Amino acid sequence: MSETPARSQPIKLNIIDQPLDAYTGGPSSLCPGCGHDQISSVIISAAWENGVEPHRIAKMSGIGCSSKTPAYYLGQAHGFNTVHGRMPSVTTGAAAVNRDLLYLGVSGDGDSASIGIGQLIHAIRRNLDMVYIVENNGVYGLTKGQYSATAEIGSKKKKGKANEQPPIDLCALAINLGCTFVARSFSGSKKQLNALLKAAMSHRGFALIDVISPCVTFNNNDESFRSYGYVKENEVTLHMADYIPQRVPMEEIEVPEGHYRDITLHDGSVIRLETIDADHDPSDAVAALAALHKAADDDHHVTGLLYFDPDMPIMHDNLGLPEASLIDLPADALRPSEAALDAVVARFRGA
Amino acid sequence: MTTIVNDFTLNIATANGTGSQSANLILLQSLFNMGIEVSGKNLFPSNISGLPTWYIVRVSDAGYQAPGDRTHIQVLMNPDTWAEDLADLQPGSVVIWNTDAKMVMDRVDVVSYPVPMTTMARTLNPKLARMVANVIYVGVIAEMLGIEDDAILAAIAGQFKGKASAIDLNTQAYRLGRTFANEELTKADPYAVEARGNPGGRFFIEGNEAAALGAIFGGVQMLAWYPITPSSSLAEGVINYIPKLRTNEHGEATCAVIQAEDELAAAGMVVGAGWAGARGMTATSGPGISLMQEFIGLAYFAEIPSVFWDVNRVGPSTGLPTRTQQSDLQMLYEGSHGDTQHIVLIPGTVEECFEFGWRAFDVSERFQTPVFGLSDLDLGMNRWTCEGFTYPDVPMDRGKVIRDRDVFEAMEDFGRYRDVDGDGIPYRTLPGSGMAPILSRGTGHDPSGKYSEKSHVYLDLMQRLRRKIDGARPHLPAPILREEEECDVGIVYFGSMENSIQEIDDIIESGGRKVSQCRVRSLPLHPEVEDFCARHKTVIVLEINRDGQLWGIMRRELPNHLVDRVHSVAYSDGMPPRASVYAERIIATIEEVEG
Repeated sequence: MSETPARSQPIKLNIIDQPLDAYTGGPSSLCPGCGHDQISSVIISAAWENGVEPHRIAKMSGIGCSSKTPAYYLGQAHGFNTVHGRMPSVTTGAAAVNRDLLYLGVSGDGDSASIGIGQLIHAIRRNLDMVYIVENNGVYGLTKGQYSATAEIGSKKKKGKANEQPPIDLCALAINLGCTFVARSFSGSKKQLNALLKAAMSHRGFALIDVISPCVTFNNNDESFRSYGYVKENEVTLHMADYIPQRVPMEEIEVPEGHYRDITLHDGSVIRLETIDADHDPSDAVAALAALHKAADDDHHVTGLLYFDPDMPIMHDNLGLPEASLIDLPADALRPSEAALDAVVARFRGA
Repeated sequence: MTTIVNDFTLNIATANGTGSQSANLILLQSLFNMGIEVSGKNLFPSNISGLPTWYIVRVSDAGYQAPGDRTHIQVLMNPDTWAEDLADLQPGSVVIWNTDAKMVMDRVDVVSYPVPMTTMARTLNPKLARMVANVIYVGVIAEMLGIEDDAILAAIAGQFKGKASAIDLNTQAYRLGRTFANEELTKADPYAVEARGNPGGRFFIEGNEAAALGAIFGGVQMLAWYPITPSSSLAEGVINYIPKLRTNEHGEATCAVIQAEDELAAAGMVVGAGWAGARGMTATSGPGISLMQEFIGLAYFAEIPSVFWDVNRVGPSTGLPTRTQQSDLQMLYEGSHGDTQHIVLIPGTVEECFEFGWRAFDVSERFQTPVFGLSDLDLGMNRWTCEGFTYPDVPMDRGKVIRDRDVFEAMEDFGRYRDVDGDGIPYRTLPGSGMAPILSRGTGHDPSGKYSEKSHVYLDLMQRLRRKIDGARPHLPAPILREEEECDVGIVYFGSMENSIQEIDDIIESGGRKVSQCRVRSLPLHPEVEDFCARHKTVIVLEINRDGQLWGIMRRELPNHLVDRVHSVAYSDGMPPRASVYAERIIATIEEVEG
């Protein structure tokens, strides 16, 4: 059922006859072992497996280590490495005039939880149709290791004293704002991240994936709550997530032995959530918040699809726009006629 | 007593939130309907209800639109400003006052017309008496000045468009005031109006509405805005015109409108729309531009078309948010950190607000750079006489954007930032096209769009950007010149100062001196501005701010041999420019220069 290809088989083509290479980008200049590079590789494989036309993706980012990564994947797509914390507004403007692209945003915890938290909040509030990945490591990397607003109390980075201020949990924030797709994952859990990312691409609305992505240089020591070792020890997985593309008949999919939930996404694809311990209902915001708070109390990280709401209108539904993107309108649809101007002026003159 | 016809200033002192604005607009429109040259200025507070408001009506056969130096006729409605307004009047002024305000009117050297306005209003509608009282003074003024009955009735009908009960109530109130004045007051002042024929094709419109209409005809595809006085009515103008002018056969809008969470986001949305290949704009004022600076630098450096309207108000900080000033010029021209230079279009009339409203998009897409429209509160929010609007005389210029794959493939060695044509303007492809995709960025980049920190790459890029904006000069709106033969003194000015310049010129001329005029309509400066300076021995740069911002720009950009002849007259006290204040300073400067 899983179709995750090994990257060592580049000759294999996806459903639109594209090799994996059509989805790759330039070489990474991040530190060797950086969690962000693992996320980039999942972005490449998920887009390839989903058969998205690579040039129909718009890669959006803000500023920071995370926001450099669009150069490392999807080289056939246009992208915009904008300004710090402001990727949501640029994406909003672009999406308003071109609704035919898959907007794939990558941000970091400084970008999203501090300087850009307002723009993140308002993009969620508008239910902008985009995938928004936070590569969340608890520190500012490019400025050499200051705590960010997602660092937990008591977590200690490589240098300096332990963090003393409470963290902003972006998933809890998003759920409270009514975000329509909220997931948490870990850069080291590539299978789960792959399934969640493909589901997010199939979602119509704002899909937030908060990915714990360890900073190997400044925050990967054992006392850090966001080191590889700590997260592996303390990850609480809500469910086993599998993505079943719309093109695959459900009857061909093996039915799990235990309890599971199938959630149908906007394009007809399904994300199957197999219960591990206790069942989690992603339509239940209170249960999702409870899971987050419990994990926080235990100094754990809970991962999986926390919350999902298929029914909220997206930004476009409220703008009164045509189905066709505005950028494709011809000049005569944009400039009213001379007679129209004459009529406006005649009305002024009659007043 | 000699009658003074069509030459006086009337000042109406009320509190805001009392409905006086509609009464004042009826008065203004009725004078306009008689073909009289008239202008109105609303001096309003940053408040919804209860603070002082003045409405100044200038009636002038000479066509003067500045508020004038003194008040000839004062209407007193507001107890809070009563004593001060009264004390400011020169002897012989006329005072029309509401006796129900229970305030003392103890000036004996003025012409007094006491009127029990609230009591009279109460007989018509007790609940709305406070509002109706304003229309009573319209009736009194109409009777005392001789405003035609038909002109008032047409103005009332226009103000309340089809709302029968409002038209009826206001007509009754107006008649009550007029009848009272006719029966109870004896004309003891010299002021009168006389009809000057049909206003012809002319009409009143606010600059913000004209600019909004211009944007609609400019094909705006996305408006992102955050409310701020005095620009909100520009954004709302666009919104109001979309249903009638910018919907398709299914009633769907061809322009997206997003009310942003702040000005940073509004700027980001404009940049996003421009990056995607659409015509995006925002409208704001100085504080909003301050917040947008980071994006302005990004748009300049990444070469993203984007249109920003700044309706200037008094700064710094919150300043005097409902007063007018020309103090954002430098901030727009050099906006953001680092070496930048931006195109600024500066309308001085409502006709130009319309024209620059559409032209801004052509210029922005042609030069792939932010373009600012610079208006101000006076031009944007007051009603001005308009001759009409000229339909765009050129097709939309979308600039060097490649949408066609054949065209793209015919190009050799495409690079997003390559200067193929030698004009500094590169070619671009759009997201989704699959043609030469790049990661647009605010970091250093080479001609192909790839990240680079190399010295020569940066240097070449910055020099090209300068060449690009420099190259725009002759393509931007040329200055409007009015030249005297002597060419001794030339006045350079911009924007809404246009509405005071004729009176300033007449005051200077009445002192026996003729001066030429050059109204700058764009930055960077058009070559004709330098030519004008070269033709005049003394150049005075006139502007409504403290430090002489245009003067500073000219001193930096003019050749050395012209710099010494350029002098500054800059003054701003928050009021719309009174001609004599500026004329006196110009004369003093000329005398100082000439020794």
